Amino acid sequence: MTDLLDLPFTDARAQVSPRGYVDACLAAIDRHDPKISAFLSVARDAKPSALPIVLKDNIAATELPTTCASRILRNYKSPFDATAVARLRTKGASILGKTNLDEFAMGSSCEHSSIGPTRNPWDTTRVPGGSSGGSAAAVAARMVPAGLGSETGGSVRQPAALCGVVGVKPTYGRVSRWGLVAFASGLDQIGVVTKTVREAAEVLGIVAGHDPLDSTSSTRDVDDYAADLDTGIKGMRFGVVREAIEKLEGEVRANFDAAVAVLRSCGAIVEEVSVPTIGYAIAIYYIVANAEASANLSRFDGIRYGHRSDRAKTLEDVYFESRGEGFGAEVKRRIMLGTFALSSGYYDAYYGRAQRVRAKLRHDFDVAFEKYDFLITPTTPESAFEIGAKTDDPLSMYLNDIFTAPANLIGIPAIAVPSGFDKLGLPLSLQIMAPHFAERAMFRAAAAYERETNFWKRRPPLA
Amino acid sequence: MKIDRDEARRIADLAHLEFDDAALDRMAGEMTKILGYIDQLNEVDTIGFEEHGGNEATPMRADEPRSSIDRDGVAANAPKWRDGFFVVPKVIGE
Repeated sequence: MTDLLDLPFTDARAQVSPRGYVDACLAAIDRHDPKISAFLSVARDAKPSALPIVLKDNIAATELPTTCASRILRNYKSPFDATAVARLRTKGASILGKTNLDEFAMGSSCEHSSIGPTRNPWDTTRVPGGSSGGSAAAVAARMVPAGLGSETGGSVRQPAALCGVVGVKPTYGRVSRWGLVAFASGLDQIGVVTKTVREAAEVLGIVAGHDPLDSTSSTRDVDDYAADLDTGIKGMRFGVVREAIEKLEGEVRANFDAAVAVLRSCGAIVEEVSVPTIGYAIAIYYIVANAEASANLSRFDGIRYGHRSDRAKTLEDVYFESRGEGFGAEVKRRIMLGTFALSSGYYDAYYGRAQRVRAKLRHDFDVAFEKYDFLITPTTPESAFEIGAKTDDPLSMYLNDIFTAPANLIGIPAIAVPSGFDKLGLPLSLQIMAPHFAERAMFRAAAAYERETNFWKRRPPLA
Repeated sequence: MKIDRDEARRIADLAHLEFDDAALDRMAGEMTKILGYIDQLNEVDTIGFEEHGGNEATPMRADEPRSSIDRDGVAANAPKWRDGFFVVPKVIGE
C-alpha cells in the first residue's frame, strides 16, 4: 500500500480500485498524520475515487467544517461548495479532508494556525511552509496524491518548495474564487499541490474555467494543460531575474545554478534579465494585501456566523469583543496595517504609492516577457526553517515571500518544482513564472526540468 | 512612520478590534517596524505610473432572480437566530 501512494495518481488509478485508493489514503493518514498534523478534519466516509484530494480549510465543502484555522470560524459549516470543489466532484474526485493553514491564509509557516503547527515531513522539527502548509505536507508525506491550496503571496508555491512537491499558482482569474474565503480579492487564487507536474496539470484543468458566480473569473477558454508535457524546451528562452539571485549565496545559489545548467542541457537559452522593481514586491504586497484583507475580514463580526462573544452587551461589544477574541495576533496585525494604509490622511502615501510601484513592477515584467518565454528564480530564499525560529519577528517571516509575491501582484501563473536537497536533506525548489494565461507552456517547461531530475521520487523519511 | 499608542487605538477603533493596553503597545511597536520596511517604497520614481491600470470593466449580467443560499444552512451557523432573523443586542438607543 505504501508503494501505491508513492505513485502519481495518473499511474496509481490504473493499479487500484477507487475503493482501494481511498482506503489506502485513509490508512496513510492514520499512520502518518499523528506526526505531521496536516489535517483539521478527515472524511472517514469519503466515497471511492480515482482522485482522492484534500482541501485547504479556507475552501468550502458542505460536508466538512470550513474554519480557516481560526477560532472565529471554529464551528462554521459552509452551506455551499466552492466552485472548484463542485468541478472536482463532477469529475469523480473525493474530498478526503481539510488541511491546516495559517489563520485566514496569513502566514508562511503554518505556525499561525489557531489549532497548532503542521510539521514538515522531511524534518518534523521544521515548518512545512505556509499558508497552505497542511496540503503541501499531506502530499509530501504521501497521505494523499493531491491537494488544493490558495495563493495570495506565494502560499501554495512556498510550502510546496519547503516540502519538496509541485505547487502551482494559476493566472489571476483562471480559477473561480467562489467558495474560497477571501483574503485579498485582487490577488487570491486557488492553487494545486501534487508530487508531479502531470498531476498538477490535470487537476488545474479540472478546476479552471469561467464561473458566473465570480465576476473576476476569466471567460478565456481553458487550455489542454497536459498537451505539451513531453514536448521539451529546445530553443525556449528563460530569463534569470538578476535582482533575485545577485545576493544569493551558498547552497540555494549553487542549487539554482545547477537547475540553470539542466535547462541549458535541454537546449533552452538561459540569460540574466533585470526586473529592477522586484526588490520592492514585499513592501507593495504587505500594503495592498493587508488593505484588501482589512476590508474582507470585516464580515467576521459575530452577527451572522462564527464566534460571538459571551460578554457582549451592546452591538459595538459584539463587534469589538468577538473579533478581539476570535482573531489571532497575525491576523490582527494585518488588519491593523491594512486599516492604517487605507485610512484618511495615509491612503495616498501608503496604498496609493504601493499601487503605483506595483504598476511599475508590472511594466518591468512586461518588458522582460518581450524577450523571454519564462522568468526563473529559486522559489524561496532558504529551505525549511525550525518551528519557532521566526515567530517573534513578523518582518523576517514576511521576507520568505520575496520570490513568490511578484507573481501574485502581477497576476501571472507560476510553478514551484523540486530542484534538489540541501546538506540537511531538506528540499529546494525552482520557480518558473510565465506570462498571463501561459500555463500550458509553463507546464511544458516544468515537465522538461522534472524529466531530467526526478527529485519527486525521493520520499521523506516517514516511519 | 512611528505608530504610538494613540494612533494604534485610532486604527483599532476603525477596525473594530479590542486590545488591552499591553497588546496595543506591542502592536504599535510591530507596526512601526513593519512600516519602517515599507517606507522604502518612497525611494521609487513612479512618474508615469498610475494607481489603477486595467482596461476591463466589471462584467454585468441580466437582472434575473435566481436561487440563493439554503436558509437552513445559514441558520445553522447563526450565533443567535429566531424566525428567520439574526438576533442582535438592541440597536436603538434608550
